[in-house]
Amino acid sequence: MTPYGPSPAVGIGYRSAIGDWTRDNLAHFDMLEVTVDHCISSGDSVASEIFDLVGRIPMTAHGIGLSIGTDVPVDLAYLDKVASVVQRLQAPAYSEHLAFTRAPGRDLANLLPLPKTEEVAEAIISKVCLIQSRIPVPFLLENISYLFEWPESRMTDVEFLNLICRETGAGLLLDVENLFLNAQNHGFDPVAFLNDLPAGIVKEVHVAGGVTVQKDFLACPFLADSHSHPVPDGALDLLDHVLAKHRPDVVVLERDDRLLEFDEILSDIRRIRARVDAAQHENSHASELVAASD
Amino acid sequence: MPRNMRIVMPASLLQRQIDLLEYLTSADAIFGESADAPSVPHLQGFDLAPLRLEARFSHEKRMEKIIAAFPRTFELLGGDQATVVRDFVAACPSVDIRRIENARQFYDFVCARWEAKPPQPPYLRDVASCELAMTRLRIKHKARPAQPVAAGRAIRFRRDRDAVFLPCAYDIRPVFEGGPGEAPQRRDVVLASLVPPGSGQPAVFEVPAPVYGLLVELDNWTDRAALGGMEGMDELITDLAEHGLLEVIR
Repeated sequence: MTPYGPSPAVGIGYRSAIGDWTRDNLAHFDMLEVTVDHCISSGDSVASEIFDLVGRIPMTAHGIGLSIGTDVPVDLAYLDKVASVVQRLQAPAYSEHLAFTRAPGRDLANLLPLPKTEEVAEAIISKVCLIQSRIPVPFLLENISYLFEWPESRMTDVEFLNLICRETGAGLLLDVENLFLNAQNHGFDPVAFLNDLPAGIVKEVHVAGGVTVQKDFLACPFLADSHSHPVPDGALDLLDHVLAKHRPDVVVLERDDRLLEFDEILSDIRRIRARVDAAQHENSHASELVAASD
Repeated sequence: MPRNMRIVMPASLLQRQIDLLEYLTSADAIFGESADAPSVPHLQGFDLAPLRLEARFSHEKRMEKIIAAFPRTFELLGGDQATVVRDFVAACPSVDIRRIENARQFYDFVCARWEAKPPQPPYLRDVASCELAMTRLRIKHKARPAQPVAAGRAIRFRRDRDAVFLPCAYDIRPVFEGGPGEAPQRRDVVLASLVPPGSGQPAVFEVPAPVYGLLVELDNWTDRAALGGMEGMDELITDLAEHGLLEVIR
């Protein structure tokens, strides 16, 4: 049983640009994912719109402003604001990206990867423990899509994530689109990545659709995580693999561009729900077979 | 140790993050054609092509925020857009994720630029000021229902705290009203930008000089009786309240 019901809840990330449409179409979604930073720094009207949804639909909390990977102490004032938003949303979990976005004097407002080393993992582990002590709901880390690698990286993506999650007890918000893109862009096997995750570690899932980018200075096209197009079938196939091994609480469609393509959004929701339902059916059938054999 | 020998210490992760962001926000990474290694220290070993792609993505996202705040300013910049953006990137790297902070950074940059060389068209500064005010209003805005105001001696009022008054050298309302062929007229005018009651979007309208003078005085709650019985005062108060320029309580 998840906090949302017997099966993974399916929803979208709330975006104020289509807030009216979202409120008029709540019946299509089991839950919404709220970006806590929109409640903290996007102004009173956006925050009010979001908080008015409390009690109408369950919401989980997601962050983009922590920059946990910046090699400076965690911003405690920011964490306290997050804690307050999480409480108001009655969110059952709070997630953030395993990434950095800024350093003193610069803020790229874009998620950047970290060197995948044990030393960096140690620093993240202590920050996660601090976050867990201040935010009274389970903390989840999200895998990002990345375009470049740090030359000193010595671990694979999954080794780095597993080490941090194992040492802290943090769950994983698995972005299957990011996994799909990274596997394509950096040439690794996404199914092997999924197989190397401990069972049960995936608590939430993101899916989205991106674009292919071709530039004259790139040796080959890159897939970019633009959250702008329908979810590719390849990403949904990875979702099947996830659902076969894990029981996430939610599967969230992320959409940040071409937001007025409502038919595409609802079509993606139906496609995701079909995969979730099929996995539920498969898991129920497997449980019945096990019970019968006992 | 020989005097010309330096001890090379490994750079801290923080220093390398700072250097990386410095490069990713540089004009060289965003616009550069060169495949040479960046001059920023501590970036040896990185593959430059994906770094440049990252820089361009981040720049495009930042400019989307800024253009969304200044749509008419960018339209009026016309053929100067590319030069202005390049110079802006070189002078003002991204320091904040928020839309309003990036908008303010751009506004400060173009104002400084226009101090040195007046803009074309000459009313561009007024348009940019108005668009910055409207962006702030969109962020601060709380919905207010339209309420009929019955003026009378029992009411109190003050200037609406969110209304922004813009002394302009041009009457730029045609730019925002979208009238075909109407060019802004050169005349000193005070424009007000605010979200009218019952509306969700900022509007721009003229405030006549005497009314502006009155509104400036109404910083604190004021009794109707304090303004005396001048003819037309009740109508003016009602009109200002209906436009959202006055907050009124009984």
